[in-house]
Amino acid sequence: MRHALLLLTLLLALLLSACDGDTPQSTTTLRVDQAMGGKPDAGFARALEPRAFKFPQDHGAHPEFATEWWYLTGNLISDTGQRFGYQLTLFRVGLRPGQAQQDSAWRTHQVYMGHLAISDIAAARHYSAERFARAAAGLAGARSDPFEVWLGPWSIHTDNERSTLAVAAQQNDIGLSLQLQPGNKPLVLQGERGLSRKSATPGNASYYYSLTRLPTRGELRIGDKRYTVEGNSWLDREWSSSALDKDQAGWDWFALQLDDGRDVMFYQLRNKQGGVHEFSRGKLVEKDGRVHTLLPNQVTLTPRRYWQAKDGERYPIKWRMQVADHQLDLEVEALIDDQLMDHTVRYWEGAVDVSGSHSGKGYLELSGYDSREQLTDE
Amino acid sequence: MLRHRWQGLLAVSGIALGVAVVLAVDLANSGARAAFELSAQQLQGKATHRLVVPGVSLPDEVYVNLVRQPAAPPMAPVVNGWVEIEGTSGRYQLVGFDLFAEPPFRSQLSGVANRAGFTADWLTQPGALVLGATTARALGVVEGDSLNIVYRGKQAKLSVLHIEPSQSSAADDLLLVDIATAKSVLAMQGQLSYVDLILDAAGEQWLTQHLTQHLTSAVQLQSVADQAQGVTRLSAAFELNLTAMSLLALLVGMFLIFNAMTFSMVQRRNLFGRLRAIGVTPRELFKLVLLEALIVAVIGTAIGLLLGVWLGQGLTRLVAATVSELYYNVSVTALQLDWKSLTTAAVLGIVATLLATMVPAWHAARTPPLTTLSRAALEQSARRGVPLWALFGLLLLLAGLLLALVVPGGVILSFAGLFLLVLGAAMMTPLMIRAVHRLLTRAALPGIWRMGVRDLDRHLSRLGIAVAALMVALSASVGVGVMVESMRGSVNNWLSDLLSADLYVAAEGFDEGAHLPAVVVTEVAGLGTVATLSRYRDRILPLADRRVELIGASLATESRNGYALLSSSSSTWQEFDAGSVLVSEPLAYHLGLKSGSRLELPTPHGPLQVRVAAVFRDYASEHGRIILDEAVYLQHWPEQPVKTLALFAGNGDIESMRREVSELAARHSVVMTPAAAILEESMAVFDRTFRVTDVLRVVSLIVAFIGVLSALMALQLERGKEYAVLRALGLTRGQIAGLISGESLLMGFLAACVAMPTGILMAWVLIESVQRRAFGWTMPFSVDGALLLQTLLVGLLAAGLAAIYPAWHSAQRDPAPQLRED
Repeated sequence: MRHALLLLTLLLALLLSACDGDTPQSTTTLRVDQAMGGKPDAGFARALEPRAFKFPQDHGAHPEFATEWWYLTGNLISDTGQRFGYQLTLFRVGLRPGQAQQDSAWRTHQVYMGHLAISDIAAARHYSAERFARAAAGLAGARSDPFEVWLGPWSIHTDNERSTLAVAAQQNDIGLSLQLQPGNKPLVLQGERGLSRKSATPGNASYYYSLTRLPTRGELRIGDKRYTVEGNSWLDREWSSSALDKDQAGWDWFALQLDDGRDVMFYQLRNKQGGVHEFSRGKLVEKDGRVHTLLPNQVTLTPRRYWQAKDGERYPIKWRMQVADHQLDLEVEALIDDQLMDHTVRYWEGAVDVSGSHSGKGYLELSGYDSREQLTDE
Repeated sequence: MLRHRWQGLLAVSGIALGVAVVLAVDLANSGARAAFELSAQQLQGKATHRLVVPGVSLPDEVYVNLVRQPAAPPMAPVVNGWVEIEGTSGRYQLVGFDLFAEPPFRSQLSGVANRAGFTADWLTQPGALVLGATTARALGVVEGDSLNIVYRGKQAKLSVLHIEPSQSSAADDLLLVDIATAKSVLAMQGQLSYVDLILDAAGEQWLTQHLTQHLTSAVQLQSVADQAQGVTRLSAAFELNLTAMSLLALLVGMFLIFNAMTFSMVQRRNLFGRLRAIGVTPRELFKLVLLEALIVAVIGTAIGLLLGVWLGQGLTRLVAATVSELYYNVSVTALQLDWKSLTTAAVLGIVATLLATMVPAWHAARTPPLTTLSRAALEQSARRGVPLWALFGLLLLLAGLLLALVVPGGVILSFAGLFLLVLGAAMMTPLMIRAVHRLLTRAALPGIWRMGVRDLDRHLSRLGIAVAALMVALSASVGVGVMVESMRGSVNNWLSDLLSADLYVAAEGFDEGAHLPAVVVTEVAGLGTVATLSRYRDRILPLADRRVELIGASLATESRNGYALLSSSSSTWQEFDAGSVLVSEPLAYHLGLKSGSRLELPTPHGPLQVRVAAVFRDYASEHGRIILDEAVYLQHWPEQPVKTLALFAGNGDIESMRREVSELAARHSVVMTPAAAILEESMAVFDRTFRVTDVLRVVSLIVAFIGVLSALMALQLERGKEYAVLRALGLTRGQIAGLISGESLLMGFLAACVAMPTGILMAWVLIESVQRRAFGWTMPFSVDGALLLQTLLVGLLAAGLAAIYPAWHSAQRDPAPQLRED
């Protein structure tokens, strides 16, 4: 899922506020009830039942749905041994369902938002940036064949042979230029054959697939310094028009690449009482590509350490994850405490290290802790 | 002071008036200027550079290509144009922004962007409009209403999505729409007006490199400073107008203060005498008087500042209204209280008061008590000073002329010269009064009149400055009046000559890019009733920091005859046909061009060397105009469409040509205008430009009138006893009233007499120095007799009105109690 809540927050943010450019201090108080009643327009399509995925078409955009994203994260290491984490996410948001009026080539119902982040582990610094553009006149957009999704100078596209993904993004003091190989892990359909339900309400679901381990090489830039890097990336693709149920408060999402070749994705939905929501789900991908579903009763997550943001919000950045069925007892800990994405939508997204019964690397996303938000569906 | 509360009151009110008029005019001018500049700047935002294709629009691809470059600097595309709103007279700037590109640049939408659903509505609803509160109020619309706008004759409907509460005074005159809406309304599909950029040195280098590598040379990177040179300024003519009026106000204000203060000093020589007699030392007296003057100055200045702010509000609205009519809608919601204006006015009030006090105070302190007590002695000393003052005045006047006409320099120098000239003339006024007085005493006047004439000379110290104040106001009025009339006449002649054709055909709307469809040009040429025609193509060419109009013309003989050539030869038109250019007078003046000079024009394919065939008289553009033969023009700008056609019926029937053309014009929605209508419209614009001048002239006259009134009243009140004696001697009430009125009228007459030559001299300096240096154009100097007569009448009227109350008052009083006082 990556994350129905994010979807909602995102929609709200866009409907509420224009971008703030490079200044990450949106003072907007996101109030769901005031904004839009929490529901995307009824004119959008909804994810009601499993679909027959078709590629490469489904790599492209699905404008009949309200939101969609191409979500890349990864752990990289430079040739000098320095560790880095990166995130590049391109979000598509349908402002209104249907075709835009044809009064100008710049008129569209589709808007793209991008988040770019680099974590410099040795320096304990997290850099991030945000961009927006309308999906018109070539400013932003997505196509499936040859695959490309772009937002101004930020883009993810296949190379000429369509064997690798080229990822490029530059903004002020950071930048990256990476090549992602297919690797030997299969495309994983999340949830029920790619239909990821967030609640019992029909349609409160998304289509969701992942590429969990993409061998990555390339270059990172921080200021004027450039680093040749390699490592693994994780791509999540998700689209939906769903809203959260009103008792859901946020989620904790884990994407872990274990050194033994297994990949674990698990999202824990939290309800307002602080408990675990029954629609929390995950998948474990074996080294050979076999996939196992993870249900909330199979996974025990215990927060071990919190980091407090400037505004007082507390983010659990160290966890114990136990999956008895797969003999996992993992310590998952942030490589840097402050990996807060403080933009139009505020969430914590950062590189983590895995230790305990197994070692590995990964990414952790913590959402719904933003005190500005009142995530209700009323 | 308390004993002389009349004088005290007059002194305070004189200072207050002087300060008020200076402040009010200054506030109005700076307010209007600021409003205009703000309107221009609010669009500029934080941009340091702008990407343009001079004269035309910029293709979308240029921006889209740049925005996808990894090293691209912050950029914001803009599509803008001037539109009219149905049912209103003003022009509004419609600006299309890309909301997402705006944050680093402008803040117009930062407030509303947080409103629920705004972004979605703004982006998805065609015609969604954001307006400032002031504009919305003026247009009488609320959120949800729609507005019909007209662009180049085409209608479009906008709907008010949001009204932004006004924060700054003039920041809300724009019609803000999404860039998609702007492209559709302004017919700019695939095109941008320009792209704003924020560039540091590295960014500029990168962009310049990128442009040379990937784009055609037509795309230019301009710094914001370059931009400001052209479009964003008030027309220099209007600016000049405002400056001249500020100067006038300063002069009149200064004279008012001088008038009030010298008067109060002169009136109290008795008191000073007595103080000296009881043993106050000259030093102490001098200090005392200055201290008192300071107190009066502070009170007067304070009241003046308040009054000035109040008066300034009305004036600001007036000036802003003129700016709106002439240029585009600017609204001044709040008065701009700038410290410069306030300080200038306050310093003027206090310094002028102290200066005005200094000399008489020094006099009073210095002279022996007995002499001080005698009025005769004082008047005598004042009279002795008259030739000296006049000599000094003459020197100032000559220095002023020298400064304005001989010393090379800018407009500031011209104005300084003008200032000295008026000051000099004012200082010579008492001598003039005496001269007239001599003349009149020799004339055999009836007794009572002779008395009045004598009085005037006797009270020279007090009346001299009042007359000078009135004179300054009147002369400024003459000077500006003669200049405006001369200019009006010249413009009228020039236009009448230039508009030689029977009919003109042009595109609807007056925007820079408006042009005629090609089919119209062909069809008109094919009409049987059209004997000959001239074609004009027009584009803006940046040349030597100016926005020069480059006109490509195919000119009929009749059109050629319409040009008043200033520097030409017999072969001018042959040279023109061979590719030489005609250059307008302002451009020729600023670039030092004459017939035979060489000029380099930037074209899309590099610079073009041309020869100047002749200079022509032109008041159309202070930036300058260049006319080039159409054939040559089309070699370099082949895309430039025809803007205007001038049609001649020749020996044929004008009426049938009009019918044919009008039918064609209706079919293609273009405009057909007879020359007379263009002339009329142009002159209406001219008159509107100077309407504010008229109002300011009246204001300064009113203030001068109040000055005369106060001087006269103080005098007459003081002379109550004298009148009582005269009454006792047998003069009737009517005769007393007559005496006072006569004296007053004489003052008005004298002021007018001096004002006329001074004003004509001012006009001469304005035309020969100020106009020439500011705009580079010349005009024949013409003095209108009616204007002079009007000045005389205004002078007499002001003086006459000022006499009514004192005359009535003095005549009404019972002489007995006044006589008993002694």
